[in-house]
Amino acid sequence: MIRRALPAAALLAGLAGCAASPPLADGLAPQAPRSIELSATPFFPQEEYQCGPAALATLLRASGVEIEPQALTPQVFIPGRLGSLQAELIGATRRHERLPYLLATTADELIEELAEGRPVLVLQNLRASRWPKWHYAVLIGYDATRNVALLRSGTEERLEMRWQRFAGTWHRGGRWAFTTLEPGVIPLHADASRYVLAVAGLEAAGKLRAAAISYDAAIARWPEQQHAWLGRGNVAYAEGDLPAAADAYLRAILLEPKDAATRNNLAQALADSHCLAESRRQAERAVALAEGTALAGAVAETQVKILAMPPSAEACQLEGRIWPD
Amino acid sequence: MHVERFRRSCVALISLSLVSLGLQAPAAAGIVGTADAVAAVQQQDHRGAVQDVLARADVREQMVGLGVDPAEVEARIAALTDAEVATLATRIEGAPAGGDALVVIGIVFVVLMILEFTGVIDIFKKA
Repeated sequence: MIRRALPAAALLAGLAGCAASPPLADGLAPQAPRSIELSATPFFPQEEYQCGPAALATLLRASGVEIEPQALTPQVFIPGRLGSLQAELIGATRRHERLPYLLATTADELIEELAEGRPVLVLQNLRASRWPKWHYAVLIGYDATRNVALLRSGTEERLEMRWQRFAGTWHRGGRWAFTTLEPGVIPLHADASRYVLAVAGLEAAGKLRAAAISYDAAIARWPEQQHAWLGRGNVAYAEGDLPAAADAYLRAILLEPKDAATRNNLAQALADSHCLAESRRQAERAVALAEGTALAGAVAETQVKILAMPPSAEACQLEGRIWPD
Repeated sequence: MHVERFRRSCVALISLSLVSLGLQAPAAAGIVGTADAVAAVQQQDHRGAVQDVLARADVREQMVGLGVDPAEVEARIAALTDAEVATLATRIEGAPAGGDALVVIGIVFVVLMILEFTGVIDIFKKA
């Protein structure tokens, strides 16, 4: 633990722009390769102001999406800002059915992603904090013996940047970085809640198949992650599979009986399945659990709708399950 | 009216700047999106559905104002979570826009907003 923490601390010190910035070799974790270069990473020389589309196309291509930067420009570029915003690079990634996985703010995670073969999109501030010049580039490797970061950047296919300089520009850019994952792929060192939240973004963007595959992978790796089950239920619901939705919600409730959102969604799935009595019971429970939270309004609305539903002539389609208290 | 909206924007700016990831999802009626559920648990998100809708309209308007093709705006916003939209609604002019362009952040303005929000100054007093 300490062996791992010390290099991380050294790297952090370097990134903070201390006078005694350590070279890359001093901060590299013992198990990390001395050098990596993902030389097969495609390159798209950027046109003026188009580093966002160029960098994003590089990542998407590397994760198997056939795309040109020109096709991404209308999806991310903002003429009035002469650039592209971070949130929109994330959004555009979702539109191409890839999972934008935000990395932690330590260089360790950049290196772990490179070691798994994924280029990393980074935001750099090439000037001072108070007079910023924002730039997106793609980190494709590093060489600890020569103390350089390797980038696809702007019009340079292979830019070698002194590690401390790279670390400084990344630090002033807010240490923001992400990789694009194919649905179902989870980084070796992934953080469960960060990964599931990334999948929730795919769900929000309506990419249901990609979200379903990613939730399934998350459930296989972290079966105790309640939000992965909730998300799986939501995707099943959106795809019209009510029994699968109800079963996933049940698993989520077993893990966290007090989650108002899951109760609310279970109540909705029950109502749609003609199980009105149980639906009302779960809706009431959801309202009590949501009290005082941001969900209170939405959950109350669900209950009102369920209470207004007339008794169904059809039988409950979700028999044979044990509903939680 | 404008002052009140401005105040709310300040609150949103500061609280949302603490939230790095996108949250919330406009899902089917009656269903709470996973991102929203996570946000509620983490107590990071106190927006309601009404504010989310307003924020989307706000960002749509601002993006068109910044020259984005109106035909593209809808799909772009649809790819974002509500929290990302809410952040953009308050920061679209100041957020980092990577592009090799010269970008000037109104530091003084931001400082004034923070001071106003924290109650140190009160220059945006209602009439």
